[in-house]
Amino acid sequence: MTVDTAAFRVIHPRARRRRHPLMRWYRRNERAVLSGLGVVLFFVLWQIGADMGAIDKLFFSSPTAVAVAGWEEVQNPRFWEDVKISGWELLVGSVVAIVVAIPLGLVIGWYRRLNYAADPWLNFANALPRAALVPIVVLTAGLGVEMKIVVVFLGGVFTMMVATVEGVRTVERQLLDVARSFRASQRRIFTSLIIPGTLPFIVSGMRIAIGRVLAGVIIAEFYAQNQGVGVMIYKASNQFLQGGSDRMMFGILLFTLLGIVLYEAVGYAERYFQRWRPSLDLEETT
Amino acid sequence: MTMPQHLALSARGVRMEFRNRTGNESSGQTLVALEDVDLDVPDGAFVSLLGPSGCGKSTFLKIVNGLIRQTAGEIQLHRVAKGREDAMVFQDAALFPWYSVTDNVAYGLVCAGVPRKEARKRAQPYIELVGLTGFEDRYPYQLSGGMQQRANLARALAVDAAILLMDEPFAALDAQTRELMQAELLRIWNAARKTVLFVTHQIDEAVFLSDRVVVMARRPGRIIADITIELPRPRALEVKRTQRFVEYEDQIWRLIAGDVRNAATENADG
Amino acid sequence: MASRFALPSLTPVARVRGVMGERLFYGLIGLVAVVVVWEATARMGLYKQSLMSLPSSILRVAIEDTTNGSIWPHIWVSAQEFALGFAAALVVGIPLGLAIGIFRRVDYTVNGLLAGLNATPNVALIPLIILMFGLGLEAKAVIVFLSAFFAIVVTTFTGVQATARRHLEITRSFGGSPWLAFRSVVLPSTLPFIISGLRIGAGRALVGVVSAEILSANVGLGHYIALKAQFLDTARAMFGIILFGLFGLFIGEGIRAVERRFEAWRPELH
Repeated sequence: MTVDTAAFRVIHPRARRRRHPLMRWYRRNERAVLSGLGVVLFFVLWQIGADMGAIDKLFFSSPTAVAVAGWEEVQNPRFWEDVKISGWELLVGSVVAIVVAIPLGLVIGWYRRLNYAADPWLNFANALPRAALVPIVVLTAGLGVEMKIVVVFLGGVFTMMVATVEGVRTVERQLLDVARSFRASQRRIFTSLIIPGTLPFIVSGMRIAIGRVLAGVIIAEFYAQNQGVGVMIYKASNQFLQGGSDRMMFGILLFTLLGIVLYEAVGYAERYFQRWRPSLDLEETT
Repeated sequence: MTMPQHLALSARGVRMEFRNRTGNESSGQTLVALEDVDLDVPDGAFVSLLGPSGCGKSTFLKIVNGLIRQTAGEIQLHRVAKGREDAMVFQDAALFPWYSVTDNVAYGLVCAGVPRKEARKRAQPYIELVGLTGFEDRYPYQLSGGMQQRANLARALAVDAAILLMDEPFAALDAQTRELMQAELLRIWNAARKTVLFVTHQIDEAVFLSDRVVVMARRPGRIIADITIELPRPRALEVKRTQRFVEYEDQIWRLIAGDVRNAATENADG
Repeated sequence: MASRFALPSLTPVARVRGVMGERLFYGLIGLVAVVVVWEATARMGLYKQSLMSLPSSILRVAIEDTTNGSIWPHIWVSAQEFALGFAAALVVGIPLGLAIGIFRRVDYTVNGLLAGLNATPNVALIPLIILMFGLGLEAKAVIVFLSAFFAIVVTTFTGVQATARRHLEITRSFGGSPWLAFRSVVLPSTLPFIISGLRIGAGRALVGVVSAEILSANVGLGHYIALKAQFLDTARAMFGIILFGLFGLFIGEGIRAVERRFEAWRPELH
C-alpha cells in the first residue's frame, strides 16, 4: 500500500527544548516578580519624573521626600494622636455596623414580605453617598467624634445588610427542600443552613465595606476639620506651597497601606469561608 | 488520484507524553497517553476509535486536528486541493451562544478566510442537509441538544474537509436522541461521502456506524485490535438487534472489559 | 377576566397582588408606609421637622425649583461631570481590562498597582486632585473616572479570563487567527461582564460625583444638597437627594437598554 507523499501534509512531532534552571524558577514565580517589578517601576518613575520636573513636586512630591516627611511625622506625638482618633472612629463605627447589620440582615432576608418591602429602601440607602448625609448627621451629632463614628457606621451598615440579605436569599433552594423534607425545625434550618450559607456573603460584604468605612472616616474628618489623619491630609494639601504635599502624600499612602492590609485580611477570611463555592459572584470581586 | 486504496490518513509511531509539572522536582511524572500508534484510514471510510476513558483516543484526534503536538511519530494527511484536510466535531459547548445557527455553521469557513457574507451563503445547504431548515436565525439556547449537535456537524461539513474528526459528539445527549442522531449521521455521511474518524466509548455506537472499529487500551494508550465490521450498508437502527451485531459487541467487550473495570475504580486521571 | 389567573382568593387586595406580583406589591406597600409614617410623625411633632422635612414639603419645593429653573444648572453640571469621567473610564478601562485578561504579563505587572489604587479611598485623593485640577469640572470628572475605573477594569478582565476554553479551541481547530478569536469569541463572551462592570462603575461614579461636589464645589447636584442642608432647608436637600436617586435609576435603565440590544442571545435575559 504505497502512498504518494507529495500529495500529503505531514504533522511533525514537537521539538524538545532545554530549559535553563533560571528560566524555570522565573516561570514558577513570574507573578510575584512582575507585580513587584510593577510597583517598583511606579516609584522609580515617580522619583525620576519629580526630579526631572515632568511631575510637579509641589503637587505630587517625590518618593524620597514623602519618606522623609513620613519619618518626621512618625516621631511627632501629634501624629499618633491623629492616628488614635481616626483608628477609634474606624473601629467603633465598623464594629457597631457589623453588630447591627448582621442580625437585621438575617431577619430581613428571612421574612420574604419584609424583604420585598425593605428592599428598595435598603438599596437606596446603600447607594446614597455618605457625603450627602454628613450635613444632616452634623445637625444632630455636632462635629465631634460621635458624628464621625456615625458616618463610618452608616457607610458600613447598609453594605453589610445588603450582603447579608443576599446571602440569606441565595441559600440553595434544594438545600432548603432537603431540610424541610426532614421536618427540620425553623431554628435548626437557621443554624445549620442559613448561617453557614450566609457567611461567605457576609465576609464578602465586609470586603466591600472596607472601602466605604475608610471613605467614611475621611469624609467625616474633612467636614469636621478637627482631628484625625484625614484632616492631616487636608491641612497638608492647603500648605502645599510650604512643602505640605509631602505630608499629604504620606497620609494618602498610609490609607492605601491600611486599605491593602484590611483587604488582604478579609480576603483570607473570604477564601477560607468560600472553599466550597465553585463560582464567584461578580459584585464581590469589585 | 486513481491509486487503489488511497489513504486519507496515515499515522506511524505516534507517541504522546504528558509531563506532570510538580512543585520542586526538575522532572515530574510522565504520563504516556499514546504509545506507538500506527493507523491507516482509507478515503471515504468510517473508522471508530473505541476504548475506556484514558486510552488516548481523544488525544489522538486532537493531534490530528493540530490542537496538540505529539511527542514522537508522524501523521500524514491527504492534502485536499483547497482548504483544510480535517474538521473537528466537538462534544460539548460546541456552538457560540452569541451567534445564530447560520453564523455558527459558517464559522469554520470564516476561520479559513472566507468573507462573512459568502460563508453564510455556503453554509445554507449544509444547514438543510442536517435537517435544521427554518432554524437559521435561532440562537443556540433555543435549540435542543440534538439540534445543537446537528449544527455542530454542519459546521464541520461546511468546511469541505476530506476527514471528519468526531470526538464523542453524542455523549451529552439522552439515549433516545443519541440513537436517532446515529441514524442521522449515517444518512448524512452517505450524502456527503467524507472520511470519518469517530471517537467513542460506546460499543454499539462504534459497531453500528463504522467500517472498522479500532480498539484501544489505556496505561499506556495503544491500539490492541482492529476489527472490520462486515455488516451490509445502508444500515438501519434495527441491525443493532441482529445476531451478527451482538457478536461483534461481545467480541469487543471481551477485549476491553478488564481495562474498563480498572478505569471505573480509579480517579478520572489519564 | 376568565380563569387566566388562578387566584386563590377573591378579595380585591389579593387580586391586585396576584396581578402585580408579590414583589412589586409589598415593595409599594413599604414605600407608601414609610412616606405615610414619615409625614404623620413629623406633623405630630415626634421629632424636629427641620431634621428630615416632610414628603409634602419636599414635593412643594420640588415643583418650585423645577419650574423656576434654579435646579437645572446643577443637574446639567453634574451630568457633564459624570458623562466626561465615565466615558474616560470606559475608554481607558475596557482596553486595559482586555489587555490584562489576554496578556498574562500585563496582568502580573499591573496587578500590584491596581490593588494599591483600589485600596486608596477616592476621597483621600480629593485634596491631591483639587491641587492639580482646581475646583472646576475637570476635577470632578477625574473623581468620577477614578470611581468607575476600577470596577470596569476588574469586570472586564474577569470576563476575558472566563472565556470558555472550548470556544477558543474551536477557533484554533478551524484554523482561525488569534485576532479572529479575539473578535469572534473573546469580545462577545466578555460583553456581559463589561456591562456588569458598567453598572457597578456607574453606581460608584454617581456616588463619586456627588461626594466630590458636596465637599468642594459651587455648582452641581452635590453642591445643591450641601448648600441647602447648611441653610437648614432640609426639604430642598432631600429633593436633591431624591434627584440623585432618580439620576441613578435613569442611568440604570440606559445600561439595561444597551444590554437588551447587545445580548439578545442570552437566555437569562428572556
